[in-house]
Amino acid sequence: MDRELLIEIGCEEIPASWLPGLTRQMAQHLDARLQDARLTSESPAESYSSPRRLTARVARLAERQTDFEELVTGPPLSAAYKNSEPTPAAIGFAKKYGVDVAALEKHQTPKGAYLAYTVRQRGKATVDVLGDILAGLLRDLTFPKQMRWDAYLEDGKGDLVFARPIRWLVLMYGGRVVPFVIRRTEVSASPTVQDIRSGSNTYGHRFLTTSGRAGRAIKIKTFEDYQARLLENFVILDRAERESRIRRELETHARRLGGRVSSQVAAQSSLLQEVPDLVEYPSVVAGHYPVEFLELPEEVLTTTMIHHQHYFPVVDEEGKLKPAFLAVINMQVDKPEVIARNSERVLTARLRDARFFWDEDRKTPLASRLEQLSSILFHKKLGTYRRKADRVERLARWIAKDVFGLREAAVDQAGLAGRLCKADLASDMVRELTELQGTMGGIYAREEGLPEEVWKAIYFHYLPVGVEVDAPPSRQQLGNAAITWATVTLADKLDSVVGMFWAGERPTGSRDPLGVRRLGNGFIKALVDLPALTGLEVAPKLQTLLEAAREPFGEIEKWDTANVIALSMFVQERYQFVLEQRGYDIRNVRAVIQEHTFGHVSPSSTLQLLGALSEFVDQPEFQELAIAFKRVKNLAKDLDLVEFRMQELTAPDLRGRLEHPAELALLDEIDQRKPTIEAAIALGSSYKRALTEASRFKPAVDRFFNEVRVKTDNEGLTRARLRLLRRLEQLLLQLGDFSEIVPEGL
Amino acid sequence: MTFQDLILKLSAFWASHGCLLQQPLDLEVGAGTSHPETLFRVLGPKPWSVAYVQPSRRPDDGRFGQNPNRLFKHHQYQVILKPSPDEVQQLYLDSLEACGINPRQHDIRFEEDNWESPTLGAWGIGWQVLLDGLEITQFTYFQQVGGMDLSPITCEITYGLERIAMFLQRVDNVFDLEWGGGVKYAEVRLQEEIEQSKYAFGQVDMPAEQFAALHRELFDKNYGFAETLLASGLAWPALEHALKCSHLFNILDSSGSIGVTERTAYILRVRQLAVRITRAYVEADQNSAGADLQAGPGL
Repeated sequence: MDRELLIEIGCEEIPASWLPGLTRQMAQHLDARLQDARLTSESPAESYSSPRRLTARVARLAERQTDFEELVTGPPLSAAYKNSEPTPAAIGFAKKYGVDVAALEKHQTPKGAYLAYTVRQRGKATVDVLGDILAGLLRDLTFPKQMRWDAYLEDGKGDLVFARPIRWLVLMYGGRVVPFVIRRTEVSASPTVQDIRSGSNTYGHRFLTTSGRAGRAIKIKTFEDYQARLLENFVILDRAERESRIRRELETHARRLGGRVSSQVAAQSSLLQEVPDLVEYPSVVAGHYPVEFLELPEEVLTTTMIHHQHYFPVVDEEGKLKPAFLAVINMQVDKPEVIARNSERVLTARLRDARFFWDEDRKTPLASRLEQLSSILFHKKLGTYRRKADRVERLARWIAKDVFGLREAAVDQAGLAGRLCKADLASDMVRELTELQGTMGGIYAREEGLPEEVWKAIYFHYLPVGVEVDAPPSRQQLGNAAITWATVTLADKLDSVVGMFWAGERPTGSRDPLGVRRLGNGFIKALVDLPALTGLEVAPKLQTLLEAAREPFGEIEKWDTANVIALSMFVQERYQFVLEQRGYDIRNVRAVIQEHTFGHVSPSSTLQLLGALSEFVDQPEFQELAIAFKRVKNLAKDLDLVEFRMQELTAPDLRGRLEHPAELALLDEIDQRKPTIEAAIALGSSYKRALTEASRFKPAVDRFFNEVRVKTDNEGLTRARLRLLRRLEQLLLQLGDFSEIVPEGL
Repeated sequence: MTFQDLILKLSAFWASHGCLLQQPLDLEVGAGTSHPETLFRVLGPKPWSVAYVQPSRRPDDGRFGQNPNRLFKHHQYQVILKPSPDEVQQLYLDSLEACGINPRQHDIRFEEDNWESPTLGAWGIGWQVLLDGLEITQFTYFQQVGGMDLSPITCEITYGLERIAMFLQRVDNVFDLEWGGGVKYAEVRLQEEIEQSKYAFGQVDMPAEQFAALHRELFDKNYGFAETLLASGLAWPALEHALKCSHLFNILDSSGSIGVTERTAYILRVRQLAVRITRAYVEADQNSAGADLQAGPGL
């Protein structure tokens, strides 16, 4: 009969941000372990969590493992018997499975007959394997950071590390406890350190109870019973329920205060996602802070509330901050006003600090803070922020002048914003509220009376962080500063990425402690959306930008070659990543961003090419183009690319070296279509026309392959033909490597 | 409850739960963790439970007595429990109740906050304890000290005494606290805060270069002597001189006497010294402890 399996790992408070992942892991690993153990269930495992527990349940789990049967083949029959007597090979095989040779069977295979044995294992009772399953599950769970807590399992694998110490365990099958034990190491032996044994007791809320002592053991029978008893004891097991309760209460309280929760909560934090994992029985209290603090910049107030106190700022109908906040608490108390008052005092103390910083910081203009940047290290090989500021200024000026072609006044503004963008790191406010770096610099620049072009460029220069098309900042947010902003954000990110690679800090696997990938993404995103965000009709090429950023780090020859290669691969990878995130087919992305050429195209025009390509691939002409291209590419690769380029530069005209009408016809086609294609590419906006034009090569290519044999005895002729194919290939590659898109079998 | 009553309550509570009551380290330190009663005792297998107040100096936090929440010197109540008892969180909550904080009327939370001290080669896993949004305690399960894995695991509970007292007395300015017998915190400590802050920020009748040079020299002398002590197999006095170095470095830092690269180099030097000292302590401890306290899990 199928019965219910219930597992609860009772734990000291697990970090909130880990819970969603751990909840998923519980179900996944349990299902995998059950399947491995040949235990069948009607439905997959369900899992739940609260700060003090990880729970998994399988509603109906088979009572026994399914039987196991496997045919094992041994020696070939020919080698198994000699003169009707079993050979040592046969005897050895039988012995391995603990049976007589007579018990072996013959098994016919396409390769001949073999001696064989069917291993049969009767399934064990589920209760007898659940211990191993729980041990496996405990070992399977992984944590961002794990701890030792003087515990081990009797599975021969030693120490059991975990998120936080485990305090109790429920392991029940069909309403009965299955014995399991987590041992404590000998060195920790003490009357106050005990083994953890599985039982049928859970524990409710630490402090809340309707009867008896809070936190006492609660006996449970089934999952349904468990969930109900937990609720009686002030633990809401279902996270979604905790979340909706929080949302509801936040709304009610905000309305009572005559407003709503600030949209900044969702925009700049994951607070709403985090709070349900911080509490077992949430409720909300409302507090106020003195109205005089509203003189502080809104950013300072919201950051202090959201990031430092986990409070929800409240705004009025127009979105303006009210001197009020909401706090999610893990309690249900008779006098919420006591908690509210205390929370108000904590927040007020912080705001008082912030006001002190605000008043002090404004006494020193940003420009005078530059020298203080000499004592703040950016990176040990890349020097201080003072030096970084110099590099960003230079690069921002160069982008403004040489890439964007701006007038002198605008170039100066870009330079000023670049020079000042890191100055706020030396301010007291940013030292205290690091989340506000950049933002604060922008605000201080505004207070100093610097123009919008400059202060907003500083304010937004850490953005973009996201890669989506609507990731902030928007064109509307940027206002008149869009172009200066672009110079500074590009300069800053470019300098960091190139510098980090120069210093050998490349991200590997999941390790990216300095967030270089995020910088790379932001850089590409800013470039891809450059025309949309700035209205500029420029399409800077990646290679040009990278070269300019490399300058302060010395000649390329003196770089560690591995770092140069890694940087190039990294940029290509980020480039592909951003485009993929935009929803473009990965094959199209790969076709367009090619290893050797991606540096020579600009991300913003790539977007248009991709747009044209994704429409074009569905049309019949595209198949024509792709097939022709693939044939050309396959042969053309026999001519080394460097050699081809040399020939194109120095060798005599190709026409004189070809003889067959079909190949001369193909050459004519190239000469005829090349100007149209290249003009369309240069325009950047008529990729569709270029693609259509390119697809018209098909008949000439077909004819060439039908009538001409490329490889001949005449080496000169062979090379001329390869050169012809290479020329066509290179022309088409400007539009993409279509062999990446050709369906299999063509 | 006065400031000194709070100390008495915590001491009585932890003494009744098997802790030795120790005295503060009579040196300038930034936290109770630097006290050998923590730094040394957590090493090796020997069980140890101890509690003490530690005046803790953070030169950079000096505010000339003008900030209601920040001090050059504050007081920590440090509890070390080795091995960490299973009921340690409940014990801690009981200790709050003993101080007059009823957990059923407040919102007490354990939120992730891990501790790391690069200069001691030490780190641990734990929480900050929030009382109605106020951080009142750091709760840490030590994992490594001096780069060595610890076994058994020690639990360190560090109460911020001023904060808890302010909460209990409902005052918004630390200097308004009643220390004891009607005497205010300001009366006991304000002048000290002002003078220590001036010192920490180099406001001394001495040119800045000379101020820096003197402290560098003191650092080097203490460092050199700590090495001599270490070579003589004297881990305890060596630690004291290493701690002096650490404090001198903090003064150099707060007075703006050192640049970035130098700063990193100083931290590294203190770390190397601290790691060598903890290792020397472990070796000496193993030699004297004998075979009856062999470490190792029961495998």
